[in-house]
Amino acid sequence: MHEHFDDKNCDKFPIAMAYVPWQEFDGMYDDLEKAYCNGTIFPELDKPFTGRRCVS
Amino acid sequence: MWSYEKRLQFPVNIKEPNAKLAQVIISQFGGPDGELSASMRYLSQRYSMPYREVAGLLTDIGTEELAHMEMISAIVHQLTRDLSMEEIEKSGFATYYVDHTVGVWPTAAAGIPFNACEFQVKGDPVTDLTEDLAAEQKARATYENILRLIREPDVCEPIKFLRAREIVHFQRFGEALRITQDKLDNRNFYAFNPAFDRCEDCGCDK
Amino acid sequence: MRERDQLLRDIGMADFVLTELALYLDTHPHDRRALEYFNHYNRIKNQMEKEFSQKYFPLNLRLTDCGKEWRWGEAPLPWEGECA
Repeated sequence: MHEHFDDKNCDKFPIAMAYVPWQEFDGMYDDLEKAYCNGTIFPELDKPFTGRRCVS
Repeated sequence: MWSYEKRLQFPVNIKEPNAKLAQVIISQFGGPDGELSASMRYLSQRYSMPYREVAGLLTDIGTEELAHMEMISAIVHQLTRDLSMEEIEKSGFATYYVDHTVGVWPTAAAGIPFNACEFQVKGDPVTDLTEDLAAEQKARATYENILRLIREPDVCEPIKFLRAREIVHFQRFGEALRITQDKLDNRNFYAFNPAFDRCEDCGCDK
Repeated sequence: MRERDQLLRDIGMADFVLTELALYLDTHPHDRRALEYFNHYNRIKNQMEKEFSQKYFPLNLRLTDCGKEWRWGEAPLPWEGECA
């Protein structure tokens, strides 16, 4: 395990630095075809784009 | 060193030529936030990375980006190989065609050719990893700009795949930055450059 | 989908799982569960690649086993796609 700050108190981290929370492996998609098409095996990293301009 | 697998990381099978789309998608080949830029950035930064795990990650992501560059080039190739002269003339593609016919050459959509000014290797781990985080977000945003322009599913599928990869890479670079932070003194991350300075402060006059 | 195309897609998917796990393990090198998954999919992928390369065409130089022909040169170029 890493020694690192508790991610839940990131406002207590030293300032003047950027922090990305650690991913904790929570299993991968069972459906590999879905994982492949979505571009990741990790459900928590699957962030689809749904934006539209809606201005004509 | 590198080996080659004779397959694309994700399939590209495009039925209809489309010069307008090709002109835009080519930015992810030769543009500032494209896959060639990404691969050269990471594969160049790894030499001055003092932490083996981070240099290893830069190598692995840099290698994946070469596979993405190949996918983008395949998309541009399939969108342009069967273009008629009429389509070339009507679509605005003629300005590229005159210098490259339907070859695939690394340029940004607005015309700036690929060049090394599109990435940086600062030789400072925190700086380089912060650049990498930005690079992944820029690539993601570019793919989203491209997705707004596409109606065809056979172009959409590989572009959506490539966009998703940027988000995963962002997470990994974030973790690499956390690894780097853990190796530095959190009271002052900027006391010295671990890739260059031999000592934090030896009191000598240099 | 033809059998050849399906096997190629299956190899692509297995290799994709390996890529994802490799990047994860680069930053989480002690994650036992990820290591086990990696080893599992590596075995599956190697088996499928060997089968594909013998039946259809070699996917890399390491799997190129030549009789009288340069089989590596016979392989279709991956950027042409299936709609050529």
